[in-house]
Amino acid sequence: MIKYIVRRVIQAIPVLFGITIVVYAILLAAPGGPTAKFAQNPRITLEMKEDFKRAWGLDQPVPVQYCRWMGFCNKLVDDKVLGILPAPAAFIGPDGWLNAFPASLSGATNGVLHGDFGFSIATGELVNRSISRAALPTLILAGTALFVWLVVAILMGVYAAIHRYSLFDQAATVFAYVGYAMPTFWLGIMLIFLFSGPGLNILPAGGMTETRVSPPFGSDDYWVYFGANTLDAILDIGKHLILPVITLVVVNIAGDSRYVRASMLEALGQDYVRTAKAKGLPGRTVTFKHALRNAMLPVVTNIGLEIPFLFTGAIVTETIYSWPGIGRLTILSVNNFDYPVLMGVLLISATIVVLANLLADVAYAVVDPRITF
Amino acid sequence: MSESVPSQSAIEAERLRRAEEAGEDYEIGLVSLSQWQLAWRKFRGHRLALVGLAIIATLVILALVGPIFFPYDFATIPVPDKIVYEGRSPSLDHLFGETGGLQRDVFRLVVNGARTSLFIGFSSMFIGVTIGTIVGSVAGYLGGFVDNLLMRIVDVMLSLPLLFVILVASRFFGNGSVVLIVVIFGLFSWMGVSRLVRSQFLSIREREFVEAARAVGVRDRRIIFRHILPNAISPIVVAASLIVAGNIIGEAFVSFLGFGVSPMTPTWGNILSNALTFIPLGNWWWPMFPGVAIILTVLAVNFIGDGLRDALDPRSRA
Repeated sequence: MIKYIVRRVIQAIPVLFGITIVVYAILLAAPGGPTAKFAQNPRITLEMKEDFKRAWGLDQPVPVQYCRWMGFCNKLVDDKVLGILPAPAAFIGPDGWLNAFPASLSGATNGVLHGDFGFSIATGELVNRSISRAALPTLILAGTALFVWLVVAILMGVYAAIHRYSLFDQAATVFAYVGYAMPTFWLGIMLIFLFSGPGLNILPAGGMTETRVSPPFGSDDYWVYFGANTLDAILDIGKHLILPVITLVVVNIAGDSRYVRASMLEALGQDYVRTAKAKGLPGRTVTFKHALRNAMLPVVTNIGLEIPFLFTGAIVTETIYSWPGIGRLTILSVNNFDYPVLMGVLLISATIVVLANLLADVAYAVVDPRITF
Repeated sequence: MSESVPSQSAIEAERLRRAEEAGEDYEIGLVSLSQWQLAWRKFRGHRLALVGLAIIATLVILALVGPIFFPYDFATIPVPDKIVYEGRSPSLDHLFGETGGLQRDVFRLVVNGARTSLFIGFSSMFIGVTIGTIVGSVAGYLGGFVDNLLMRIVDVMLSLPLLFVILVASRFFGNGSVVLIVVIFGLFSWMGVSRLVRSQFLSIREREFVEAARAVGVRDRRIIFRHILPNAISPIVVAASLIVAGNIIGEAFVSFLGFGVSPMTPTWGNILSNALTFIPLGNWWWPMFPGVAIILTVLAVNFIGDGLRDALDPRSRA
């Protein structure tokens, strides 16, 4: 098992490496770039633009920039081969070892290999800090969404399978079809109209906390406030979570409840379920211990593959509800051509995709004792 | 009134009956249907798929003909009889109501948006399916190193959070033109198809008729496109329908966030994006109708996909 996990992680490394190359190429091949925002500003001269580019290392050829960003190349060495590729000397770190080696040997701290994603071009802040500040709100949102999604989808699917062709089952079918066809952002807008519009104003339309009462989430003041009024603060966040979570999970519930239903129906038709019933076991035990456990096998894999969608969904949900998470950070950075932040966000989300796939396989083995690696 | 002439089949039936009575041998004529006729016959039996087809047909006609009767021009600002900032709710004059601000007719916007959105959905699907089919065929037919390389590229592309990359690409390369959005979506929707086609090729290329073709010296290109591909077509068709649905939602998503088609060209996503700023005024009809249009389209395409899956599956002959 452990051997299998290690092998999968090692296999994932070239894929992640490939992703960074693809995305870096896309980002840097684009016209405009970080200096585009100065185009309308008459006070910025051409020299200032050049200085800006030099200061951020944007004047270097793309391969050199990529090499430095990854941490293979020394930031202070400008030598090049053929005009665009980093020279061998650039791979040597300040202390003489290869720049890619750990900082204790090479003396280099730049690049992803050393855990440094660089600085945000738009704000000048460390990318690591921007991302870690936005990570907690997204984890809260995505975690709650995942929980609601799994519980509702499984309960709906199981109930619909047991009461096949009942009114509930048919309603669930319609819900599944429509929910699956519904764009997340449209649902978000309509929910705001319904629950925080002029008509029925009972839920907050956006934000993470009640700004009139609490300091902005994540600030030092907030944690002081949180310590003093823990229950209020949690309830406040909970209230702000309701609409975003519904928006985020409807599509997934629509798809997965059908999946659970189909899988459950198959399990209920098996011989061992009939045997269990014939032995006189109570219906609940048969359903949940015998049928559901087996029905979960394909579902687990499917859910693992869908977890990354929470991330894409978060981009739009966080924009609609001004949730201060990774999704909104992404939109802001896309707007500002903020490469370092975008690369950081992308690498992290790609890692999540790879890990979720791995998790799905491992979970499969845990649920199904027949499978050994 | 003249005597009704007995139909051809009635004459035939009568002839058969007499032949049987006389104890003669007789032949039974079998009507043979082509594969596509069989598929259509089964597709017809799928009620939801027919509903889907009707919806899509209506929308396509609306998208083609509608803008002729309801032309939309960004620079033309409507002159309402009464100025209401948040717009007016649906009425006989404005079936879908009026937008806030300039009080444009929402029906007009939705009809013109249908043209752009459907165009983007279908044409990006064509690009995606073409690339996917070519990559999948080459990988599946040649195998070995080429296969490995192409499939690793697919792995990398599939590990990307696609909408995120599309978002970035649209913002960085797009200039609001529809064609660019089509190309971007096309370039990012071929991976699923290529995997499907590859797996089909892997099994079909081992079959006897391919071996026979190779034995008589048919060239690789002809084997791929004339002998194997037609046999692999059904899963491609089903996948294509799903790509259309996905790309229509995807385009709406990107335009909604303001990185897609220029706001001057109406698409369903653009209309929604504009509506977002007016939420506090409570004009629900503005985002409602383009959203319903998206849902109807995607539902219809999914139904058609289901119908096609049943109709084209050779294992379930009706």
